[in-house]
This record gives sequence, C-alpha cells and structure tokens, in this order.
Amino acid sequence: MTLVVDEHKMNDKFPIGMRVLAVDDDRTCLMILEKLLLKCQYHVTTAKNAIDALNLLRENKKNFDLVISNVHMPDMDGFKLLELIGLEMDLPVIMFSVNDDLKMVMKGITHGACDYLLKRVRLKEVQIIWQHVIRKKKGKRSNSDSVNGIDSAVIGSSDQNVKPYRKRKDKNENDDEEENEDDDDDDEDPSA
Amino acid sequence: MDRNNSRRQVAAMKQSLFDQGLLDEQFIQLEELQDDANPNFVEEIVTLYYRDSSRLISNLEQTLERNPLDFNKLDTIMHQFKGSSSSIGAKKVKAESSLIREYCRTGNAEGCRKSYQQMKKEYVALRKKLENYFQLARQAGPLERACRPK
Repeated sequence: MTLVVDEHKMNDKFPIGMRVLAVDDDRTCLMILEKLLLKCQYHVTTAKNAIDALNLLRENKKNFDLVISNVHMPDMDGFKLLELIGLEMDLPVIMFSVNDDLKMVMKGITHGACDYLLKRVRLKEVQIIWQHVIRKKKGKRSNSDSVNGIDSAVIGSSDQNVKPYRKRKDKNENDDEEENEDDDDDDEDPSA
Repeated sequence: MDRNNSRRQVAAMKQSLFDQGLLDEQFIQLEELQDDANPNFVEEIVTLYYRDSSRLISNLEQTLERNPLDFNKLDTIMHQFKGSSSSIGAKKVKAESSLIREYCRTGNAEGCRKSYQQMKKEYVALRKKLENYFQLARQAGPLERACRPK
C-alpha cells in the first residue's frame, strides 16, 4: 500500500518526526506525556490549556499531524476543543482522562475522538497513535471532493437552486436577499 | 567498591519505598523514560509535581476552612491533585485522595477533613523520602537501567 504525499507532508521516515500537539493543564502530566512522545521520536509541541492549543492550530494547522488532549481542563472542556478542531482543522484527536466512565468514553468517540486513552498513559499506547493519522487520511481521500465533513453534507444536496454554501444564510433563497438583520459585512451579498 | 555499595543502598531505599506502599509501578515507568537526554528526568518530574501541587494544597486548605463545605469545589481540586499524584506513582497519596473524593460524593465534611490530614501527612513524608532518595542516587551515579523492585 503506497502512501500518497499530500499537503500534510509526510516524510519517508514517518512516523518518525510526526508532529504532535499535546494538551494538558497539569504540568507534571504534560511533561511526562511529552517525554513519552519524544521517546517515539515524534516532534512535540505542548500547550497547557485549550485556548493556547487552538491558537497554535489556528496559526497553521499544517504544522501538526495529530492532537492529543486531556478531557478535563479548566478553561475549556476537552470535548469542546475536540469539536472545534474537528470543525476548523479536521485533524485526528486523541483524548485522555483519568475518568474511564463509559459515558465519557462514549462522549469522546461520538464527538469525533479517534481514540480515548486512560491515564496513566503508557509508552505502548503512544507508540501506535500514528495509525490514526493514516486512517484519517485514507478516510479523507475516499470522500472525493469534500475538503471537510461539513461541506460534504451541502454538496450532496439535490436542489439545483441551492446557492453556494454560506455559513450565515438561514433565510429562504428567493428575491428578498437584502441585508441580513444581524450582520452587514457579508461581502458576497448577491442582491441585485 | 564504593560505587557498588552506594548503588546497593539506592536500590534498597527504592525497594523500601515500594514495600511501604508509597510508590507504585508508575515510578518505574518514569525511570524507564530517563535517558542521556534527560538523565535527571524523574527528579525533575517529582520537583515539578511538588511545586505545582503546593498550589493545590493551599486551595484545598482554603476550601476546607469554609463552612458549609463546598463539596463540588473540593472534589474538583481533588480530581486534579489525584491525577497529578498518580502520574508520579505516589501510591498512598493517590489512595487517600480517592478517599477524600468518596467523602465528597457522600457529603461527609468530617470525613473529608480527617482524610485530608492523613493525605497531607503522606504527601509531606513522601517528599522527604524522595529527596533523600534522589540525593543518594546522585551520589551513587547514574544507573545503567531502571531496576525493578522485587
């Protein structure tokens, strides 16, 4: 099975050098996780809260191949972070927690986590996380034209009159398409 | 030889910490991560743990002083404290932390306070013992491999 190199450039030494973003508000746990990842010869960036993590990702999502994050963080729920990463960057995300409650694990998976690990995370578990990067890429390629999962839902629409997808439009698509009440800076306003 | 003697002492001290139930397997995992790039990794982690957890201890004590006791807040702090303690293999501290969380769940304020006193004792005692251990280990020189206690 040959790997196609795409914009998330994977070098031929992959998974060596795989770029991981590790997120945990507990500095002790974060330092241990970082060491585990370094042992696997991944390239590691750490963030001590969800906001920092998002900023790093928003700066350039192409800088990372995978995110691994704690569920319980004070500034933002790990599940919320997971959702945002899924919406904005569509990178594989692994969650971890001390909590092995089935409902939590279920929540993680249904919110889009590739995996849910239990603390204390073991080297063996970290050694195989690269598989999620491959799986995700394979999954993307089989969704032909869609760039991310959100768009594909709209592209699938059979209504020929549906205008190109715009996030804010929720009114009907006929003639009175003047300014929206709430917002003026939509520069693609098609009103005649 | 002097060095072998020191190393034997270090190993014995570590064995004792395990025998007393103060440390668990996680501590060994940390030692296995130690390498040339981070020859003092375990000591660094433990130092970081005690530095960060001291803030949690202050929060805990403030929370415990209030009446009525805010069990949710206490449980939240304990969740974090337990996770941190677990990550360095602090077995007894972790067990006492679980007990406090149980008391939070059942709304037992006296139980929380008593358990906290016990936990703090363990926490402080472990710190001293680990400080001695690391000092001895440094004198003995680097071990080639992490050795598992029996």
